[in-house]
Amino acid sequence: MRILFCGVGALGSTAALFCRNLDAELTFIDFDRVESKNLLAQAYVKQSLGKNKAEALKLQLSNFYGKKSDAFGVKLTAENIDALCGGADLLVDCFDNLKSRTLLSEFARKTNKALVHAAISGDGTFGLVRWDERFKPDAEDTEGQATCEGGEHLPVIGALGSALAGIIRDFVKNAVKRDVMVTLAAVTPT
Amino acid sequence: MTILNITYNGLSADYPIELDSHLNDIDLRRIAVEVVRSGGVPGLQIANLRDDAFANYVVDRFNERIYLRPKVPFGS
Repeated sequence: MRILFCGVGALGSTAALFCRNLDAELTFIDFDRVESKNLLAQAYVKQSLGKNKAEALKLQLSNFYGKKSDAFGVKLTAENIDALCGGADLLVDCFDNLKSRTLLSEFARKTNKALVHAAISGDGTFGLVRWDERFKPDAEDTEGQATCEGGEHLPVIGALGSALAGIIRDFVKNAVKRDVMVTLAAVTPT
Repeated sequence: MTILNITYNGLSADYPIELDSHLNDIDLRRIAVEVVRSGGVPGLQIANLRDDAFANYVVDRFNERIYLRPKVPFGS
């Protein structure tokens, strides 16, 4: 099975680490680069500073765990989505904007591909993992709204990333589609 | 009986509620403010909750469960 992580910021990079033992091919898409502030909330190490996030995650998985993966350091667009996502068996949406989430959702529905979304609130205290059948992307309250600044709620990111990895595992092994919500206090099936 | 799940300040709780089938999202948000203020939602009593506390919240309706939750626009 080929799993494509779309966006490897806080949630995508954390979940990918917990998917490293799956019998699956992992591929990452992200056009962004690792900045020092990202070390507070994302799975990147100091040695990855300045690198493209998709490439950095691929390198870290290989160097630290011996897990081979693929990386595309580009932005997902309507023009390249067929080429980038067409070969995936499972799409994992960890994007941070409405436009990209909507683009991916429309592609998954058109091609009948499995798509699971992970999403977190701006203050980092609440998040969801939901399959596309039950998910509608939310817009930011304001353009450029800050999110999870300073890694204050890193345990929620960890719980959400871990829950996403568990949900991916259940889909890969048993074709089960679970949803959860994550708060400061609990991970709750929904 | 419908379960209204309310998430606020990183905490979440269920509130069983008899709902008029035509209850819209605005009414639901207003009811949520009232029940949280009154202490009707276990673990979520906030007596001085603002009138507009849930104004930007999303209402998800799934069968017998309704989720009143913050927006989740981000993955990073």
